[in-house]
Amino acid sequence: THDDAGEHGAAVAGGGTGRPKPKNVNQMVEFQRGDLAQGFAEADVVLEDTYRIARVHQGYLETQGSVAERAPSGGYTVWTSTQAAFGARDATAKFLGIPAHEVNVIPTQVGGGFGGKFVLVEPLVAALARRVRRPVRLILDRTQDFLVSHPAPGAIIRMKMGAKKDGTITALEAELIFDAGCAPGAPVGVAALMLAGTYRCANLDIVGYEVLTHKVSPGAYRAPGAPQAYYALESHVSRVADALGLDPLEFRLKNAVKEGDIRPDGRPWPRIGLIECLERAQRNPMWLNRKSCGPDEGVGIAVGGWGGGTEPATGGCRVNPDGSLTVQVGSVDITGVNTTFALIAAEVFGLPVEQIQIATNDTDHAPYAGASGGSKTTYTVGAAVLAAAQDAKNQVLEMAADRLEAAVGDLDMADGRVFVKGAPNRGVTVGELARLANRFGSRYRPLHGQGRSAVHTSSPGFTVHLCRIKVDRSTGMPRITGYVAIQDVGRALNPAEVVGQIRGGAVQGIGRALFEAMQHDEGGQLANATLADYAMPTSADLPDIEVDLVEVPSADGPFGAKGVGEPPACPGAAAVVNAIEAAVGVRVRDVPISPEVIVDGLEGGASR
Amino acid sequence: MAKSKSIRVKVNGSERLATVQARRNLADFLREDLALTGTHLGCEHGVCGACTVLVDGEAVRSCLMLAVQAEGHEITTVEGLTTPDGEPGPLQQAFWDNHGLQCGYCTPGMLCATAALLKENPHPSAEEIRERLSGNLCRCTGYQDIVESVIAATK
Repeated sequence: THDDAGEHGAAVAGGGTGRPKPKNVNQMVEFQRGDLAQGFAEADVVLEDTYRIARVHQGYLETQGSVAERAPSGGYTVWTSTQAAFGARDATAKFLGIPAHEVNVIPTQVGGGFGGKFVLVEPLVAALARRVRRPVRLILDRTQDFLVSHPAPGAIIRMKMGAKKDGTITALEAELIFDAGCAPGAPVGVAALMLAGTYRCANLDIVGYEVLTHKVSPGAYRAPGAPQAYYALESHVSRVADALGLDPLEFRLKNAVKEGDIRPDGRPWPRIGLIECLERAQRNPMWLNRKSCGPDEGVGIAVGGWGGGTEPATGGCRVNPDGSLTVQVGSVDITGVNTTFALIAAEVFGLPVEQIQIATNDTDHAPYAGASGGSKTTYTVGAAVLAAAQDAKNQVLEMAADRLEAAVGDLDMADGRVFVKGAPNRGVTVGELARLANRFGSRYRPLHGQGRSAVHTSSPGFTVHLCRIKVDRSTGMPRITGYVAIQDVGRALNPAEVVGQIRGGAVQGIGRALFEAMQHDEGGQLANATLADYAMPTSADLPDIEVDLVEVPSADGPFGAKGVGEPPACPGAAAVVNAIEAAVGVRVRDVPISPEVIVDGLEGGASR
Repeated sequence: MAKSKSIRVKVNGSERLATVQARRNLADFLREDLALTGTHLGCEHGVCGACTVLVDGEAVRSCLMLAVQAEGHEITTVEGLTTPDGEPGPLQQAFWDNHGLQCGYCTPGMLCATAALLKENPHPSAEEIRERLSGNLCRCTGYQDIVESVIAATK
């Protein structure tokens, strides 16, 4: 039923600037550059096609829910599984018409978010608690969650690309239609930007429409807009390379953007690692051996990327009398980012990570941080934690200098102890210093570091996925027999977490290709609002996923880190369909894939 | 009116006596009546596997079983997989050591399903693990570290 968006969008004429905005379109985005007609005239090959990708759900295993009660001191306390404690506080206070400080949000452990858990039922539950003067708990069951939460929009993307025999892309025209449901907010702008900004192209005409329909409005889901854009872009790029008789990886390398290239919005790309990822893919055994696959088996390639979010953040770092550190943050831990914070503080102090405690505080007590999302938690809150730990370390060194009667510059710190360089016996432990500072009548101020960050330059992360698929000719079922994810992560602070994020993201992309679609009836009602009817990848559907980390350090992230959560969700769908074409010569245009389409394609011969 | 019934079950080694409504499912009984909130609900109809517990050593979806059906049986939840002093048991430790969880919501069900698998087949292959755990959804990990955790637990 994203067809209804297509029908509405189909009424829109393409080409040229100053297009009219149809009544059912909430927002239009346009990027133009150069001379499109000239670009197509220069091309040796021009290929045009349309790709469809379904509306999908974040599919977190824990449904959404909150508990609210009137606090004894007035105001409301809200316990909620959210990625955005401060966001939930502000939305709840606004809804209740009370000042923000009268709402205290206690964020609970999040059972998966993927962008879906910013604010949902918190204001409602708090309002009910006010009305009935009792604590109120609302935990959505799975069907309710499917019906009322904000999934990722389906999209129809028409692509027209021209390229020369030498592999230069000369023109790109694209029309993106995003099903915005009943309220504004579909991420068509970022989709258009990534779609037109990943490869150099002098002549562009890109238009995106956010079309209003009678469905629930979408929200954020892991790299909002980008998986849709990369599905169309990377399907199409492989086919243009094919039409030119060029290697799809060489073709991508020739056109891939690098630092300084101008994006469609006129801004230059900062330091990015797309080319490094492609070069790594060139050397990967799966790619090198792609011509020697078994029968009906083939390897597909696709690129993905995400700009990376930013938001100011604060962190605290308290030095405890036992020599340990308590790091205080206002960001919610989603899938292990607190461990990364602990590693950052441990690195600064040269302490074992077990000596670092991370306190995820409620909104009454936490230093401010934005939502844990947008691939910005390590990147921005981590930067605040780094600054807080450095501040605390400076305080420790200053106090030690006073105690040891030495200059700060003459001090070293190791194993939780500060000592004079060259005289290791002249020292004092960090714990002793904290005990001295936390004592009645002490002349020392408590050791408590604070860090603030306002990193406002994002560090985009790019990735290349390789997928090997074997197709069962009798049923049309594709089976993934191998998968490689190569990603520029800046610097992997916690490699286990980084690799886990990449695998999980890749599987969500595979889910878009093979299984996932929210299906609506003619009236716009969701028809598959259960986990029995909405299929997600299981362990038996997947092979091992090889992860290859590329490290092109960011300028502003802690120790060069970049956001890693979102890029891996982008290339999967195109990698899968490109692999199917490599395997059996059938081009799939709509995902999730129906095996019937593959069987039809096999019976009717290759459809190129 | 909903009928109530007295039941006697052994949960994580302790005898428990309770009066439950006939319609109360085992998951709600464990979570709400016994405060064993380690058992998670993800779909309420037996698809996601998050609520998997052991009933007489076999993996059972506690959302699909009524509490009254547990009368006289022995139930092990994730809380019962720890060592006697409450430290992570060997299976839990293997998941910890091998990054077998990210958000952790599916983990109690994964652990119970794995416990049942290993009782039946102490040295499963990666393929057998993938097949047997395919009834337990995980949205974070892509499953690979879970499979590796299970293999580590068999060593």
